[in-house]
Amino acid sequence: MYDYIIIGTGPSGGNIAHNLFKAGANILVLEAGKLMNKKTFPRTEADTSARLYWGGGIEFDTDAKMGFLRTRVVGGTSIVNQCLLDRFDDIAFNDWKAESGVNWFTNEQLAKHYDTVEHALALHTFTANEMNRNAQLFTQSCDKIGVKWGYLRKGQSDCAQERGNDCMACLGGCHRDSKQSSYAGYLRDDIAAGLNIQTETEVTQIVNNGNTVTLHALQQGKPLTFQAKNIVLAGGAFGTTKMLLQSGFKKQLPALGKNFSTHPQFMSFGLFNEEIHAYKGYFQTVASKDPNLRQKGYKLENVFAPPISAAMLFSRTGAYHQEIMRNYTRMTCIEVAVRDENAGEIKVDNKGKLTIDKPFTAQDRRRRDEGRELIANILTNEGAKKVYASPFSVGLHLMGGSVMGTDSAKSVVDPEFRVHGYKNMFVADSSIYPNAPGINPSLTIMALAQKLSDQLIGANHGI
Amino acid sequence: MASNYLSNSALKAINRIGDMMIPRNGEFPSFSEVGGIAYIDDLVSYAPPADIKDLNLLLTILAFMPNFVLRWLLNRMENSMESSGPLAPIFRMLDVGLRGLIFSCYYTEKIPASYTGKKPLDIIGFDLTRVED
Repeated sequence: MYDYIIIGTGPSGGNIAHNLFKAGANILVLEAGKLMNKKTFPRTEADTSARLYWGGGIEFDTDAKMGFLRTRVVGGTSIVNQCLLDRFDDIAFNDWKAESGVNWFTNEQLAKHYDTVEHALALHTFTANEMNRNAQLFTQSCDKIGVKWGYLRKGQSDCAQERGNDCMACLGGCHRDSKQSSYAGYLRDDIAAGLNIQTETEVTQIVNNGNTVTLHALQQGKPLTFQAKNIVLAGGAFGTTKMLLQSGFKKQLPALGKNFSTHPQFMSFGLFNEEIHAYKGYFQTVASKDPNLRQKGYKLENVFAPPISAAMLFSRTGAYHQEIMRNYTRMTCIEVAVRDENAGEIKVDNKGKLTIDKPFTAQDRRRRDEGRELIANILTNEGAKKVYASPFSVGLHLMGGSVMGTDSAKSVVDPEFRVHGYKNMFVADSSIYPNAPGINPSLTIMALAQKLSDQLIGANHGI
Repeated sequence: MASNYLSNSALKAINRIGDMMIPRNGEFPSFSEVGGIAYIDDLVSYAPPADIKDLNLLLTILAFMPNFVLRWLLNRMENSMESSGPLAPIFRMLDVGLRGLIFSCYYTEKIPASYTGKKPLDIIGFDLTRVED
């Protein structure tokens, strides 16, 4: 009988597993994906999609207008994202408080947890001499037309830029262990020290017996059962919500599956006469940091995409497609990330498959269109000969579905991270986000996980 | 060329669709010339068996379609983002699924030694540097 079973190893599960393991708790970690490391992470873009993501690379909403990227690997999303780590601002927390009734959603209340996480990880704020040509053109144009921008802060230790390393390679997992994923930052050393983890194990049902919890799972197709005094669900918005839905908790928790948001992202490319090589070096160093855009509900990110993803972002094939791809190295790129309404719903169909309803509301559309217009202005001011706006939207930040709140009719998790009505089932991942913050969610996921860790260790007198 | 997961008809369909999406054009070789489909099992092997079964079925149906029907279908898929109606989501999913397969086998480092022309990644100038210690 374990003290805790932690399901999932992303920014939440990785942090909690690390803290409980260090505190000496008898824990088991379950992860649906494989354990990979810097030597075994995929080395090609195609292999990355096939091996690290659910759905062979992408999952869709029911209308197939929005694609979602969800990872299946030890370390979760933190393996493939850019590890951009920002604290939330008062706007985000005030909106969370208003929606959830949880009064500790403030920067002051979470400061010590942010501090602990930031102290544990190697953080780097980019500087002017680290910008590639894509970023230089973006910032120059922003300055010209009066859009405020700022340098990003990334969790990284040694990216070997002076030796010409291109960080786009780490979208399939960092081959240097520089990126501060929950694997490199927490779990790698814990696994070496004996952390009990079972990979390729997907939890299919949760049965709460009162003082204990039974988990039914499939490990590479083989049925297994685990028992614990407590469980921590950390499978992210889709994973955690799916486990609760398929275990029948919707009857007691009417809000289960609701309030899904995802910061939909829309990329636009600018074509230049000069060679840009936007995929080179640190390919994401700056973003808009403009109070006016924050108020309007969107931000601009200076990004780029590897070849297959870039090809996918344009809807056409044939000669048109080849013309665009021929100019791949002469393209810059900016995306608008929309702070979307939490109007989505996560469901499970009668075959046990996830279905996602994600209406793109009138407000979402207005924010996207405003952002795209501003991007076109920035790109044209940069000197772009032509601007291509991709019709596709991608959701990378999967949030909500098991949201936190004081009212069990409107939320799934209480302010002490317990599933309403269950003293031994905890959730502290992005599924508890009451609405879209409009800020990269990773650092706050880790800060919330740190808060829950402290709570669990404190309740057990250090375990 | 053989696959442990996809039938010969399915592979034939991928090459036909691939050549429609990426024909030989200037310095770009056609999809089938490059031969990246030889490594398709590396991609498909990670999919759930039910998905592989569905993919085989779909591609086999497409393999037997006349060229003009297939071209109509691809055109319909390409323009599906702004379409509405009950079939639109199916066309959109088909579009992303098929383009994903085709582009993954084309813009790839994994190309058979039998292909001696310029590789698509070299043509577009993609040269990623990975410094490993």
